[in-house]
Amino acid sequence: MNDAMRPRPVQGTTTAGVPGASISARGITKLYGSGDGAHHALGPIDLDIAPGEFVSLIGPSGCGKSTTMLLVSGLEPVTDGELDVDGRPLTAPISDVGIVFQDHLLLEFRTALKNVMLQQEIRGLDRSLLQKRATRLFKELGLEGAENRYPWQLSGGMRQRVSIARALVHDPSMLLMDEPFGALDAITRTQIRHDLEMLWLETRKTVLFITHSIEEAIGLSDRVLVMSNGPGKLVDEISIDLPRPRPAHLGAYPEFARYARRIYDIFEKLGIYHFK
Amino acid sequence: MSGATTTMTGAVGAGHASGEPGRLLAWLSPAVAVFAFLALWELLNRAFEVPVWLLPKPTDFLARLAIDFPMILGHAWATSRTIALGFLLGVLVSVPLALLIVSIGALERGLYPVIVFLNIMPKTIIGPILLVWFGLGPLMAVMVVFLMSFFPILVDSMSGFRAIDPRLAYITRSMGASEWQAFRYIRLPAAMPHIFAGMKIGIVKAVEGVVIAEFIASNEGLGFMIMRASSFMDMTLLFSGLIAAALVALIFNGLLLATERILMPWARHHHQ
Repeated sequence: MNDAMRPRPVQGTTTAGVPGASISARGITKLYGSGDGAHHALGPIDLDIAPGEFVSLIGPSGCGKSTTMLLVSGLEPVTDGELDVDGRPLTAPISDVGIVFQDHLLLEFRTALKNVMLQQEIRGLDRSLLQKRATRLFKELGLEGAENRYPWQLSGGMRQRVSIARALVHDPSMLLMDEPFGALDAITRTQIRHDLEMLWLETRKTVLFITHSIEEAIGLSDRVLVMSNGPGKLVDEISIDLPRPRPAHLGAYPEFARYARRIYDIFEKLGIYHFK
Repeated sequence: MSGATTTMTGAVGAGHASGEPGRLLAWLSPAVAVFAFLALWELLNRAFEVPVWLLPKPTDFLARLAIDFPMILGHAWATSRTIALGFLLGVLVSVPLALLIVSIGALERGLYPVIVFLNIMPKTIIGPILLVWFGLGPLMAVMVVFLMSFFPILVDSMSGFRAIDPRLAYITRSMGASEWQAFRYIRLPAAMPHIFAGMKIGIVKAVEGVVIAEFIASNEGLGFMIMRASSFMDMTLLFSGLIAAALVALIFNGLLLATERILMPWARHHHQ
């Protein structure tokens, strides 16, 4: 990947934007329901994410990764523990956040561009500013020409890209992604992973990225947090020391093999994998 | 971003037989079929010399339709007015009620069995009760139309309002959307196809209901005209009335489809 291939920001628009938020959690736990029937979904876990850090959360299904994301965004209240965002305790859903789920969750009755502009309509933000940002995001995400198409006219990969654009157009300080590429084919996944990283490198928002894919976690993050089976606890934390932007074929780097090996070992120890 | 653009070309929208030839054929085939059906009817009637008091020929009742057109039109207009009033009332009451019921869990749990029962029950059997309450005249027919159209619209609207993915609710909450914004931008447009589906059923039931109501309780309208024709054994007029009623239903259905196209332009090419 050389400089010539890296996309340039469009002239006349700022890339600096809002700096990333920091997240600090101590002993956060989540119980759904109450009494004997309560489902202990997560924790207690401690979490520290620095501003502008790209952190992945990897773990088996049902371990509480998605719950972590809901807690951090304030969309679900913590049952126990302390959670601070940007140094302030979290009491309500944060609005300065962009969320992407595995399902694109676009409105079928709006075009791609209008889906993204929903942020402007609901938040009451400046229309021309967000229009400019949306156009730029569409360009950076390879969605040019798709602006006036409806979701059912787009491929799965494009729908997810629109979903990502929607999560970024209002310039949030935090991006939360819950297995955003899980429903995409392998080739699209690799491409969109690269596109996401390129986009992130321009603005360096704080990202909490949840995935099942070890390659994706290592390929995108500054740090990978490994979670055990539910109720999830953090069992390992790996700092990824690979150059950015990350190459698509990580196999060329021996460090990748080490990191991957470490995660596989944990999974085997936790009983997630059984290799004969 | 070559990877991104190649995925786009493979994804263009759902195929449909578009263009003028396709559209013309769509109109032509049913028209030809109807014509063939009527022609066959005519032929068989003549061949077997079926008496007019048993089964009139198409030429008989179509001629009658032309001859008595002003009168039939007058009755058709009265019936249409009744349908429009009752149906509109049905929509205005059932859609907000559907939203209310779906929004309050306890209400939904409590009312749901009642709604299902009332939906299944033939509304026309309470005709006599309505006759007592509202007396003779078009008002009773309006009430019947209201009851017949209310329930399908309510049930389908409820399913439309329920159909929102909870994770989409997370996204809109993170946008800071108020209840009103969530309703206006997301829930109502998402429920529209369901509401229209309910309305299409409702209009058919409305036409059924109005004719029967007018049989027993009115002094105008197609139902009244049909009833009177029946009592005089005026078969050609009776059949003309039936055709007129069917045409009224067709026109209302067409109005619904047109409204749907205006309100939901995105649905035009999308086969859901």
